Amino acid sequence: MQQNCIQVKNLSKTYADLTAVNNISFDVRAGEILGILGPNGSGKTTTLKSILGLIEFDEGTIEINGLSIRKKRSEILKNVGAVLEGARNIYWHLTPMENLTYFAGIRGIPRKDITDRAQYLLESLELADVANKEIRQFSAGMKQKCALACAFIHDPSILLLDEPTLGLDVEITRTIMEWLVDVVDKEGKTILITSHNMDFVESICQRILIIRKGEIISHETVKSLKEKFARKHFIIDLETEPHQTLLDSISSLGTLSTGNNSLKIELETVDYLIPLMRALDESGIKMLNFRSVENDLEDIFLEVIRGEHNENA
Amino acid sequence: MRTLNLFGAEGRMMYWSLRRYMFNTVAMVVVLFLIFMGMFWGVKTIGGSGVTGDSLDSMLVGYILWVSAMLALGNTGSEILGESQRGTLEQLYLSPLGAHKIFFFRALVNILFNFIIMTIMLYLSMAATGRWMSVNLLYLYGMVLLSTLSLVGISFMMGGLGLIHKKISSVNGILSFGLIGLMLLPTYPMTPYAFLPFIAGAAAVRNSIVQGASFPAWWYLFIAGNSIFYLALGLAVFKKMETKAKKLNKMSQY
Repeated sequence: MQQNCIQVKNLSKTYADLTAVNNISFDVRAGEILGILGPNGSGKTTTLKSILGLIEFDEGTIEINGLSIRKKRSEILKNVGAVLEGARNIYWHLTPMENLTYFAGIRGIPRKDITDRAQYLLESLELADVANKEIRQFSAGMKQKCALACAFIHDPSILLLDEPTLGLDVEITRTIMEWLVDVVDKEGKTILITSHNMDFVESICQRILIIRKGEIISHETVKSLKEKFARKHFIIDLETEPHQTLLDSISSLGTLSTGNNSLKIELETVDYLIPLMRALDESGIKMLNFRSVENDLEDIFLEVIRGEHNENA
Repeated sequence: MRTLNLFGAEGRMMYWSLRRYMFNTVAMVVVLFLIFMGMFWGVKTIGGSGVTGDSLDSMLVGYILWVSAMLALGNTGSEILGESQRGTLEQLYLSPLGAHKIFFFRALVNILFNFIIMTIMLYLSMAATGRWMSVNLLYLYGMVLLSTLSLVGISFMMGGLGLIHKKISSVNGILSFGLIGLMLLPTYPMTPYAFLPFIAGAAAVRNSIVQGASFPAWWYLFIAGNSIFYLALGLAVFKKMETKAKKLNKMSQY
């Protein structure tokens, strides 16, 4: 049984007449990567900043390694690093090495104590060659890697990342993803991450929390979420456009769409597979290809969000 | 020890910034050198041979007091504004030592750095003009540092306002002008004006260096107490504003 590293209980935060976070509770276990998904304005960043003590929340409790963020923030921060969304996080007029030295320094760590750690971070993030170049000249991806290195310089056991891959290309996103997974595996770090990048979240998170309008609407492992919302779409390529008789005969089997001599159908149940095949056979249209496609996390996310929306409507 | 490392970090940050913006640094040094040369030549030209060293001493002490006061007064407010604009403010707030300590040491480094630069320029000017002064710089800087701590406190109040209202340069301007006027008010022996920040310390420095006046030990203790009071008050206001900024989620916004 893993220990809880971060415990959020009944957290609420309201700005004037807007409820940003409404009575949410969750925990992050030691050594896991927990992802928070949600549309813009759903309360992801407010939650993350409340955990860091950058926002004063109205109600609830937040404990990190058993310490209350309200009472022991300084003690907690010794063991926590963060990269925040929409901020530079680092000084662009300095070099990566200077930034690392500075951010260690303002945490009270002397320069001589971070030499090995800085070297390791620069090398593992492929920044060693540019360690003494001004960050201003770097690409967005390299800047983000520098911000990650700075957040890790004091060797924290917990890292909070707010949209760490926002605006980054596929290659850099993959590099960061692999690096984070490696860090969790080798160093046993605990990571809480918010992101809009579903592939990124799916690839690195063990559990996912979906929030909407400040409330948790799903809190499950990636596996159970996919199992719960598993839907199989079947894509059937035909020799000609499907005629109306065929469409009428299969329309009751599931959700249907057509285009470019193909049929896309999401069956209500897999039991309908045989009637589908029969209808296709009887239609007289030659079938060229038949394949099944599973829902990806993006589909599931949209389904959860829409489902909740419809329930509330 | 951890605090000392923070002080070192701020010192290095200043050094890196000065080196990175070399043109600006060189321009600053040249301007300062010209100001000092102007003071030396100006006094010599206007006053001729009849002018005593007192006029120059007075001008120099006034200048150092004014520059240090302006630096101390504007530092925290403008630093918070700069960090907020740059998007690095919240990272400073993730320091376990506290952002207030970072800004305090940044102000201190700034004032001390200016002492060093002013000393170098002063000696260069004296060597260039062949006119040597007898100001006790150790006493001058010590007293200026002690007195300006009260202004660092006021600057923290401004910084606290800056966390919420962001743009506060106009208020800083009003305070700077107000301070020039207030510095002319009498403070010793114990007038009500002595309870204002910086004024008593500045007057003591001017009178002791220029006029050779001496003050009892309790007066220096009073000046120290004045500085500590305003520094503590400034920090308290800053912390209060910080809490308010966190409530309103204004920390990251500019």
